[in-house]
Amino acid sequence: MKEMNPIKVLIIDDEAPAREILKHYLKNHPDLQLTGECPDGFAGLKAIREINPDLVLLDIQMPRLTGFEMLEVMDENPLIIFTTAYDQYALKAFEMNATDYLMKPISAERFNDAIAKAREKLAAGKESITRAADVIEKRPSDAPSLSRVVVKKGSNINIVPVENINYIEAQDDYVMLYYSGGKALKQQRMKFYEETLPPGQFVRIHRSYIVRVDAIARLEPYGKETYVTVLKSGEKLPVSKSGYKLLKDELSF
Amino acid sequence: MGHPVFESRTKTVIWWLAWLLLGAGQSLLFYYTHDADIMLTVTDGFVSMMIYSVLALASWYPVSFFNKQISKTSGLIFNLIAVSAGLVIIWLLLSRLIINAIFPEPGLYSDYWNNTFIYRAGLGVLICILVLLTYYLIISYKRLSDKKLEESRLENLLKETELKMLRSQINPHFLFNSLNSVSSLTITNPDKAREMVIKLSDFMRYALSRKDEQPVTLGRELENLRLYLDIEKTRFGERLTTAEDITEECLDARIPNMLLQPLYENAIKHGVHESTGVVNITTSIRCTRQILEIVISNNYDPEAVLPSGTGTGLVNVQRRLELSYGKEASLTTEKSNGQFIARLKMPVLK
Repeated sequence: MKEMNPIKVLIIDDEAPAREILKHYLKNHPDLQLTGECPDGFAGLKAIREINPDLVLLDIQMPRLTGFEMLEVMDENPLIIFTTAYDQYALKAFEMNATDYLMKPISAERFNDAIAKAREKLAAGKESITRAADVIEKRPSDAPSLSRVVVKKGSNINIVPVENINYIEAQDDYVMLYYSGGKALKQQRMKFYEETLPPGQFVRIHRSYIVRVDAIARLEPYGKETYVTVLKSGEKLPVSKSGYKLLKDELSF
Repeated sequence: MGHPVFESRTKTVIWWLAWLLLGAGQSLLFYYTHDADIMLTVTDGFVSMMIYSVLALASWYPVSFFNKQISKTSGLIFNLIAVSAGLVIIWLLLSRLIINAIFPEPGLYSDYWNNTFIYRAGLGVLICILVLLTYYLIISYKRLSDKKLEESRLENLLKETELKMLRSQINPHFLFNSLNSVSSLTITNPDKAREMVIKLSDFMRYALSRKDEQPVTLGRELENLRLYLDIEKTRFGERLTTAEDITEECLDARIPNMLLQPLYENAIKHGVHESTGVVNITTSIRCTRQILEIVISNNYDPEAVLPSGTGTGLVNVQRRLELSYGKEASLTTEKSNGQFIARLKMPVLK
């Protein structure tokens, strides 16, 4: 076997014992080099930026920022192996092209399998993790609504509660979120927000606009049988025919 | 259904007294209206009523049988008329035969019989209607009370089932994450791993035990929840600390088992899980003779925007309190100064 550069590995998990066991399993793989461990998502993003690891062992449920939310705002493309006690995220994880999904407690065999898969992927040439934008999430009808959105402003990561979003504008493959305190571009589809934002609080008034009902100041007529919404901030957004109907239902006028 | 007259001594006595009265009534009636021999009138009155009484007792069986078997009203009425006719005719025949045997002198009883026959038959029909009415009242009353009994039985069953369902279910992720920690500790700290396995087993035994449906002492509940918190402390290390401020005398009060666990789970879920700093969970318990107050509070990261998810844990605790104590118990929560406070008040059960 010819000598290769070691595979750089980063562990992100908020529980120390969970990190310990992964470190222990890594010892059996001399071609993998542990380059860091982080106890939360923010530290994880920073470490990924600095180290640019080949492989990240990533927990999902963590303080402030979940593993999935990290991926939404990450520029680098390491391979991802999720490690979690929850089985309900497996589908989403694989749709995002995760290399593997390890369920805690993690066995050495499963761990080795996952590492073997990572090695193969790396040898075949990098294959980036699929961004959340390209994943058509199959949400069960009783799934809870979105409560926060993670956005990136320069090198800052902001967590925006959905109550602070005033409106969302479609921009090709992206959406622009306008929230109190700024705006941010996200690689996401309008349909995603239309389906996951809390119903009753947001209305899709136009092909290109979703607006928060409470942010609306009034509706003004605009030409024959068409309207514009005027937001409390003074901005005006067009309302389509079907959007007008939805608004009418929502505000019952 | 057994015979209602023999259900209790009182009912049997009332029954026979009623017939004695009827016997006296008939004697008096015929004595004054027909000017007959007093011996004959009185004997006739009491003997015929005793005969009627026995026949009426027996008629309960066909009445309750038809009532159960025949659901069509018209069929039921037809059968009741048949029973009534049979009852009256057999009574008249038996009375005639038996009393005639007591007064064998020719003409003595038959004259009296012939004179009183119309009244006798009328009285027979009247009594028959009374008897059947009484029976019907008894039957419908029984039905009603049976229904009520069944209703309250079902209600209790429902309540019990709901209480069982609400009984805190250990979150499987708690178990899997704990086992993952144990697995890790077997390498880094085998002694601690063994300690954790034992704590986990003791806690699970308590949490899963079915014997403990009845209220447990607060002391026992807390003992087991300390195990739970210890296990979580192993997982989260220094990120989780606990403090207690408990009045000793309260520990004998009884509460439903695992009532408090969801409150701690909630504190960990919204406190520790969502914060990178240290979260301290404080338990403080006070009581008077009547009221037990348990306050569980934790600091949380005020900047954290909680990911979606609803507090079913708290709702379940509330419903359990409602089912067990009615309006006498309450669970209130508040957020102030970065503290989440759950306050539980309930009557003291010893």
